[in-house]
Amino acid sequence: MSRAIDPAVRATRMPLAARLSPDQRRVLLSYLILLAVYAGCVAVNREFLSWGTMRLQLVQATFIGIIAIGQTCAVLIGQIDLSVPWTITLSAILGTNLAALYGQQWVAFAVVGAIGLAVGLVNAFGVFALRVHSLIWTLAVNLLLQGITLLYSNAAAPTTHVPPIARFLALGNPAGLPMAFLVWVFCSALAILALSLLPFGRQVYAIGNRPAAALLSGVRLGRIHAIVFVVSALGAAFVGLLLSGYSSQAYLGMGNEYLLPPIAAVVIGGTRLSGGEGGYVGSIAGALVVVLLQAMLVTLAVSEGAREVIFGTILLALCFLFLRRAR
Amino acid sequence: MKPPEAKERRRGGVEKHAGPLSCAVGLVVLIGLYAIRQPLILSPFGLASLANVSVALALAAVGQTLVLLTAGLDLSIGAEITLINCFAATTMGSSALSVASVVVASLVIGLALGAFNGLVVAYGRIEPLIGTFCTSFIFAGSALIILPRPGGSVPDGFAAALTGNWGPLPFSLVLLAAAVLLVWVPVFGSRLGRYITAIGDDPESARISGLPVRRVALASYMLAGLFSAIAALFLAAETTSGDPSIGGIYTLNSLAAAVLGGVSLMGGRGTVMGPILGSFVLSIILNALGVFNVSAFWQDFIEGLILMLVLGLGGFRVLRAASWLAVLRQ
Repeated sequence: MSRAIDPAVRATRMPLAARLSPDQRRVLLSYLILLAVYAGCVAVNREFLSWGTMRLQLVQATFIGIIAIGQTCAVLIGQIDLSVPWTITLSAILGTNLAALYGQQWVAFAVVGAIGLAVGLVNAFGVFALRVHSLIWTLAVNLLLQGITLLYSNAAAPTTHVPPIARFLALGNPAGLPMAFLVWVFCSALAILALSLLPFGRQVYAIGNRPAAALLSGVRLGRIHAIVFVVSALGAAFVGLLLSGYSSQAYLGMGNEYLLPPIAAVVIGGTRLSGGEGGYVGSIAGALVVVLLQAMLVTLAVSEGAREVIFGTILLALCFLFLRRAR
Repeated sequence: MKPPEAKERRRGGVEKHAGPLSCAVGLVVLIGLYAIRQPLILSPFGLASLANVSVALALAAVGQTLVLLTAGLDLSIGAEITLINCFAATTMGSSALSVASVVVASLVIGLALGAFNGLVVAYGRIEPLIGTFCTSFIFAGSALIILPRPGGSVPDGFAAALTGNWGPLPFSLVLLAAAVLLVWVPVFGSRLGRYITAIGDDPESARISGLPVRRVALASYMLAGLFSAIAALFLAAETTSGDPSIGGIYTLNSLAAAVLGGVSLMGGRGTVMGPILGSFVLSIILNALGVFNVSAFWQDFIEGLILMLVLGLGGFRVLRAASWLAVLRQ
């Protein structure tokens, strides 16, 4: 209907919200949520106005944001990746150990690449070739990875030999900007370009909207599934390396906090869990929202239980206000 | 020659029971292997202990199945179990009257928590995955407020009544059977059960046919909450205390047990025996690993591998399909 209106007329007469496509409107909404949450943070604690505090939040948001790249792609093709936590932990422990063993920093990156590729391909194999629901398949893979990590580490004490490059990527501060944030900006730019300009992006949306139609139009379904899950696993493995640099150690269970917050970030960012609608631009706001909420609750002097209740309630309220399904 | 529809229908019938059947076979094999290594397991005490380690998961999985049948998903089951477990362990006292009233209150709380989920998902129109994820924080946080660290207690009589055995018959199995007979069977004997399956099978047609989609979804989450409450009470009896982290594993394991038992995550397909047998298989494998002196480190690896194998086997029927298009249209 709105197509029939002359664009010039539309631009002048209609309010901003009506001029945007539904996708753009949802992205705008996620940034409005971000503004509201930030305002709430500042109202609770003036510390959030200081660059020092915000820099910490940006680093935290980097971890969630980089995982959210793969998760956004997975959700866009109508899937989900729940193997993230132990991909993080395995990559951190194996990467730091082997890098220390061989005395070479690049070994850690080789481990990240190998784990990302292996986990991603196993995920894609189960989800695409065997048609197992990704919710349960990636969960089983997560369990397997947990087992592998436990067997490998034999429940040893945390490794503290972290490659300096990991520490620099997570904690470095060139030109007053946190290095981790720069890494995130770089990865985000790649993700947004890939999703909006490359054929890959169009094929991802095509699969999410209607897999059968995508297949008939010549989309290589298997290849796209493989790429998406490898991107997700690579992101998780890389975050594992960053986290080991951030806390100067790699320990069992370090990835457990990173299962659901990135998914919450994707959802707040306006990507539909049913697939085919949304994008990474919104997920960036989503990652910041989740991190700011967590940080704000830490500054409140309440018990851990109350903090969880408040976090759940705010998240629920955000979903209720902005993310209701049609109908 | 039978008409093709009859063949189709027969295959559908076989597929419906493939999950429970393979779980039943797996269960027999498992118990057999277990008995070779540890013959005492076939004694009344041994069987009761096997039942006791499995029943909580079975109850959670049956609740999860009710929601999965409507094409929903409940990620708050573990948190519901935790909250009710903490509530029961802190308030039960020791008199018969207080025990009875806390049991009733726990069941009501289970229904209420489920109703909250149902309101969020069905009336609030929030995706089940994210909606029940949010409520799980609220429930688990409330449990931490009630009971910040493991503690509380339940009277010995209450514990014995749920975890003891009468000859070869463990009370925990009686509890599970009672829960199924008093909740599942009446529900699926009524219109509600048919609506649940119909909505899971095809939500859009169900809505157009005028089924009360929202009310049915609400009911399924409430029933899941009820099963969580029974599981929580059983866990309180088994550990004779409350623990604010007790429920964590049940969310995802209930999902795994349901899928092992042949319940479809897309809704509309599943039986009650499937998730129960799936839970027993899953719990007994984990329990057996400990008995066989397999290092605890192997447990997750083996559980993950078994899950992947079982799920993957189900996927091999895809290889028989004529083309990917046929697969995608299923």
